[in-house]
Amino acid sequence: MTLLWAELRTAISLIAHGDPYLMQVIGFTLQVAAISTAVASAIGIPLGLVIGLGRFRGREALRILANASMGLPPVVVGLVLFLLFVPAGPLGSLHLNATRTGVIVAQSVLALPYTVALTVAAVRALPRGLPDQARLLGAGRAQLAALALREARVGVMAGVIAALATALSEVAAIVIVGGNVYGYDQTLASAALFASNAAMYAEALAVGIVLLALILLLVGGLSLLGQFGGGIRLRLGPAA
Amino acid sequence: MSAPLLACRGLTVARGRREILHAIDLELRPGEVVALLGPNGAGKSTLLGALAGALPPVSGAVELHGRVAVALQSPDLARRSVLANVVAALAWWGVPRPERHPRARAALATLGAEHLAARPASELSGGERRRVHLARAIAVAPDVLMLDEPFAGLDGAARSDLLADVTGALRDPARATLVVVHDRAEAWALADRLLVLIGGELLADGAPGELLAAPPSPPVARFLGYDGELRGVDGEESERLLTRPGHVALDPRGRLEATVTRVIPTEDGARVELSLAQGRLSATVDGPPPAAGARVRVALRGGVRFPA
Repeated sequence: MTLLWAELRTAISLIAHGDPYLMQVIGFTLQVAAISTAVASAIGIPLGLVIGLGRFRGREALRILANASMGLPPVVVGLVLFLLFVPAGPLGSLHLNATRTGVIVAQSVLALPYTVALTVAAVRALPRGLPDQARLLGAGRAQLAALALREARVGVMAGVIAALATALSEVAAIVIVGGNVYGYDQTLASAALFASNAAMYAEALAVGIVLLALILLLVGGLSLLGQFGGGIRLRLGPAA
Repeated sequence: MSAPLLACRGLTVARGRREILHAIDLELRPGEVVALLGPNGAGKSTLLGALAGALPPVSGAVELHGRVAVALQSPDLARRSVLANVVAALAWWGVPRPERHPRARAALATLGAEHLAARPASELSGGERRRVHLARAIAVAPDVLMLDEPFAGLDGAARSDLLADVTGALRDPARATLVVVHDRAEAWALADRLLVLIGGELLADGAPGELLAAPPSPPVARFLGYDGELRGVDGEESERLLTRPGHVALDPRGRLEATVTRVIPTEDGARVELSLAQGRLSATVDGPPPAAGARVRVALRGGVRFPA
């Protein structure tokens, strides 16, 4: 208890004084989270709409695959990416191991299943008659996708939030791919792992506290945005 | 008679391996409102889907001059305002942007839903949702309009209000309209032609009054409410006579003798089921009905004859 208290006081002072190492890690973490969530959304939401709305063979298999991918062990993802990225590997020419880009790629791969699977689920939860009726009244693919995205926006937003939360808190894949290089390609999560492995408990706690605050801030902010976005539109609807 | 807007010949449609529709022939002409009537599972919705091009036929073809709009049975609306829902339908159909708002408002007015334009669709009652749903299909002004059970799930008052408004809204000299209905009364109210689909086959096609007076076959007659059946009434053993309650009167001077098997009270009296040596009948009685088990005499005032 006394140890925890002492380390906590040191941790708070580290945060309060804006430790340059801590600031660098926060900056990179935000970069990783922003880019990997954006990539996962840009690829995953359209993919989810196609799987959710499409009427092709194998879409059920794709849906199950997307759901299962949410359970991908980050360690395995990291290992596979690492082996793909080694100089002699199939993607070796990209030189991504132990780089910041490699970390961002790994987090994007881990975040993607959430945007795909939760978009598919949200679209499939819409009343069946809505897209069917739109088709029968001549809606094209883009119009159908726009309709589904608008109607399923709360569920799609849940996918984006899950992607962001993954990007912030996952650690195994980026440690394997990025190598957890101190002061270079560490995120808050991997920095916390690094510090606690090195018995630097005050640093680990400081990083942990900042990480929790960041998750609360970003995920909470995104959740409120999703809710108010729907609410405001519904309330303004009649006046328009 | 003008050329048909839609015609199909030998249309056979399967869902999976099961054949649902067998060699359907039909035509829809401009200005017509045609009711498609049939028991549950007869293939009515499948026929609508096939005519609209949403289900590919196994054999036969649908020849279409113009565009079809279908209003599905479930009135699912987007979580937006009523007006935005109708405007969206016009956008799907490809109507240029400046025309969308006036046409949406006009269609809502046609269905008596103009006052709902600004309301969120999620706050509508069942009858209101149906109106908006139908307004979407009417707003796009298709050449052929198909409605799948537009009154499904509505209670008495909402149903008759909507029926009254829709009857007017469906009249358009340039358009052919096909309405799937569940209830015979809706067919009489809406349509000038009636199609009867039973077991995936189109068994009757004609004016409602004519079909009711002279149904082409016993299955159609039974479906249209002929619930009495007698054999050998005039010594003709090779004939059977089918009757509706309106054809049967309890009359002390009647020629036939019957036993009352069941009395079902109705608003205006009772429906009485009768058992005879020649078969069974049912009749409507205005005054106090006889008791079950009573012996009564029956006079026939119509019915249709079929070979036994």
